[in-house]
Amino acid sequence: MKKRVIACVLALAMTAGLLGGCGSSGASDTDSQTTGDSNGDQIDLSMFWWGSQLRNERTQEVLDMYMEDNPNVTIEGQFSDDYWTRMATFAAGHTMPDVVQMVYAYMPQYAREGTLLDLTPYIEDGTIDMSNVNEEILNTGKVEDGIYGICNGINASALLYNKTLLDDAGIEIKDYMTMDDFINICREVYEKTGYKTSLSYGAMTSESYMQFVLRVQGKTLYGDGAIGVDSADQLEPFFDLYETGLEEGWLLDPSLYVERVRGQVEQDPIVYGSSPETMSWCGFYASNQLTSMQSAAPEGVEIGITTFPSDDIETAEWLNPSQFFSISADCENPDEAAKLINYLINDIDCNNVLLGERGVPISSVVSEAISENISEDDQKVVTFINDVVTPKSSAIDPPYPDQSSEIVSLLDSITEKVMYGELTAQDAAEQFLEEGNAILAGN
Amino acid sequence: MQKKRRIQKTIYYIVVTVIGFLMIYPLLWMIMSSFKETNTIFTTASSLIPETFTLDNYINGWKGFAKITFGTFFKNSAFIAVIATIGTVISSSLVAFGLSRCRFRGRRLLFGAVLLTMMVPAQVLMVPQYLWYQKLGWVGTYMPLIVPYCFAIQGFFVYLMYNFIEAIPKELDEAAKIDGCSYFGIYARIATPLMVPSLVTAGIFSFIWRWDDFMSALLYINDAEKYPVCLALKLFTDPGSTSDYGAMFAMSALSILPVLLIFVFFQKYLVEGISTSGLKG
Amino acid sequence: MNKIKALVFKENISGIIFVMPFIIGLICFLVVPLGISIYYAFCDYNILSDPVFVGLKNFKTMLNDELFWKSLSVTIFYTVVSVPLKLIFALIVALLFQKTTKIAGIFRGVYYLPSIIGGSVAVAVLWKRMFATDGTINQILHAMGVEKTISWLGNTDTAIWTLILLTVWQFGSSMLIFLGSLNQIPRTYYEAAMVDGAGKWRQFFSITLPLLTPTIFFNLVMQVINGLLAYTQCFIITQGQPMNSTLFYMVHMYNETFVYYKAGYGAALAWVMILIVGVFTAVLFATKKKWVYDGGF
Repeated sequence: MKKRVIACVLALAMTAGLLGGCGSSGASDTDSQTTGDSNGDQIDLSMFWWGSQLRNERTQEVLDMYMEDNPNVTIEGQFSDDYWTRMATFAAGHTMPDVVQMVYAYMPQYAREGTLLDLTPYIEDGTIDMSNVNEEILNTGKVEDGIYGICNGINASALLYNKTLLDDAGIEIKDYMTMDDFINICREVYEKTGYKTSLSYGAMTSESYMQFVLRVQGKTLYGDGAIGVDSADQLEPFFDLYETGLEEGWLLDPSLYVERVRGQVEQDPIVYGSSPETMSWCGFYASNQLTSMQSAAPEGVEIGITTFPSDDIETAEWLNPSQFFSISADCENPDEAAKLINYLINDIDCNNVLLGERGVPISSVVSEAISENISEDDQKVVTFINDVVTPKSSAIDPPYPDQSSEIVSLLDSITEKVMYGELTAQDAAEQFLEEGNAILAGN
Repeated sequence: MQKKRRIQKTIYYIVVTVIGFLMIYPLLWMIMSSFKETNTIFTTASSLIPETFTLDNYINGWKGFAKITFGTFFKNSAFIAVIATIGTVISSSLVAFGLSRCRFRGRRLLFGAVLLTMMVPAQVLMVPQYLWYQKLGWVGTYMPLIVPYCFAIQGFFVYLMYNFIEAIPKELDEAAKIDGCSYFGIYARIATPLMVPSLVTAGIFSFIWRWDDFMSALLYINDAEKYPVCLALKLFTDPGSTSDYGAMFAMSALSILPVLLIFVFFQKYLVEGISTSGLKG
Repeated sequence: MNKIKALVFKENISGIIFVMPFIIGLICFLVVPLGISIYYAFCDYNILSDPVFVGLKNFKTMLNDELFWKSLSVTIFYTVVSVPLKLIFALIVALLFQKTTKIAGIFRGVYYLPSIIGGSVAVAVLWKRMFATDGTINQILHAMGVEKTISWLGNTDTAIWTLILLTVWQFGSSMLIFLGSLNQIPRTYYEAAMVDGAGKWRQFFSITLPLLTPTIFFNLVMQVINGLLAYTQCFIITQGQPMNSTLFYMVHMYNETFVYYKAGYGAALAWVMILIVGVFTAVLFATKKKWVYDGGF
């Protein structure tokens, strides 16, 4: 009965919204005021995210729960494909939804351009309770002097691999592989099973892997208006791996990537291919993709998870914010938006629905509370983050510059040339440095 | 002699059928895939017939997202496509007739503008158009998806109909003018019946384009309850996470149905339209 | 004299009224956005903050932009190859199925289907499967005794051809337009020709083809414009890979605008393309008098 009443109120509110305004920010302003007169202080919020069907359903469900608990709040959930195109037009028109999902690659730019709200005051006055959150995680949302995003799930770079295949071949994977270990396994797998290796290019994680390579040398990918290295040879190990793989034959044929959708787990060479030489034993992914990779895997294939190869894992590895929740600078009710974020981050009932689908919850209390309810694969991810990555990680690289997406494309196209044998690793490193510097300098 | 003709005819039909099969193979593949179990679609992509035949994809797909079923999405798409198409056909035919049959100042310039509208890529207008429609208070409504098309802003349709009208003998208008017919009378009584094939062609194109108009829907529709089918279909796949290809193919197959029905129903006017009215030329 | 004047006057007014929808549409929906986008072409504009005027900077950048030249040449090659193929195919099919019989109607539907499913994800997935190393095309070639396995999509020489083939395969819209005007040709012409003893081929070359030239011209203009502005085929199938050998100009422009947030440069790229399309169209119109029949029926 209660649900029905709420549904009616909701429907009324929505029709009022439809009839009243045509959606411009000015109109929605008067909207909330008119409804406010008749109905106490009615508050309209909107929240915007992207994701799988599962995420859409779970998120919508917790929003419904929130509205049930807070009858004076109406939240319009929006989810869509082509998220960043849409977000850009929203920002251009100053019509960004109140609460938005962000990623590390874009959040700093949106923050610097003043489209996001500094959340520091809300954290200080406890509206957004960060007491159970590790300082380092909180700081991933920091851009210049403010905190512009609350991390909504912890992630880490992860090497996903076909465990069944390796078990059958008698090859064991240990966490914290060194570069040599990794290359030896690539060779061994190729010799024994014919399976090849797909590197970071295949899963579109070259940016992370390049950071792995550079952090070990005490360098960052993004320096101040330039690539953060002293000379091209510091970049070379990244391309060396591809070159070695190409020379020794264990690198997956690059033409296969054009036949698939890169980064789409269903079509990843780990789980999909007609013969060993079109498949890979591993893929360079992120930890929260284990679940979807496992469900895309053929029956009887177990997917394992371990760290990216590195000769010094403690400096290379970092805990990564899988996404953020941010509040738009155009938001009319920032207090309410902050309360909503707090609910999403700290409420246990809410997280028992979300179940860490965006990554391991940042609050240790929540993370523990939901641990019994999550699936076995999700449990594996939590263990990986807590026991494997956390003890051996260091701080994340500073916020990325505006041109980071361009750098990612550049890295991708140069890597492609190496795989096609058109560039040597050395030339590739030099070209990446030169063109990358030009991109980062020119603005 | 008769035998030879029959053999020729048989060969003709075999060839046309084989090529026809190649033409619809992708559609067949999509329909067949929609009956496969969703996690086997890629692994069994090279075989057309499903190993196990299932309707789950249709059931799961129809459920839609966050409690909004595909019934809603189909209704939305139909509303947008039908109104925008009627608007396009009527307005474009008026403009085309005016450009073809009336001499007035600025006619050539206007014709140039019609051509220009075809040359401007939609991508460059996305941001400016968004800002402009926002000023008009149209963001979040169907207005940007419908209203502009009712003002003949797609030069393609104007130019298409212009060509057809040009091919109608001018003597017919002259005769009508002598009989005291105004230009509007000529448009309604003489040109329109003769233009049926081009009106139908434009109608079919416009319906398909509006039905598939993913970009404008993406930019202007915020509320998932107002999503058209083409936008909703995109929600099944999410790069980097699990995608439900089975449900997507099932709903894609359904989304082709209305378009197909429109084509089947109207296509006979493409070839018959003019023969019945009989030209005096 | 007065009467004629009145008539001219009327024609004038009527004409304006007829084209009024377009004038209103143009002013209300196009002039402003077009104006803004021209302005952007001369600005640094990252979408998130206000544009800053920089003069000709974007156009100078273009000269040194490798991808600008690459994508331009890919796009022009694609257009020049795919458009004639598509039109020839569309015309042949239209001629085959212009009869009013039921079976012809079914075939029209079947041959039009590919154009209905357009740029859907299903087409993308299928096209990749067909041209994959272990895909249908290679299997057929193997069966026919070709031993070499070709990676159609992964090879810089062949990848663009898979996109051209996709375009030609979706010839339906040109076919419909041909069908419409084929039926506009009065039957009496053919009857008269038959009385004169002209055979099928004679009829085709002396009646059908000449009377069809305005439609051929129309389709040619439309397809050239569509070809130069093509986007979907590349976007859904290759995304420009391998090594930018299939990078369409509009995809490059889209990336600059919405992936790198360089909307000013994107607008400049777009306007250069509009100019190029304009030049192509103008050249086509200039040749119109030489080969297009211009007498009505």
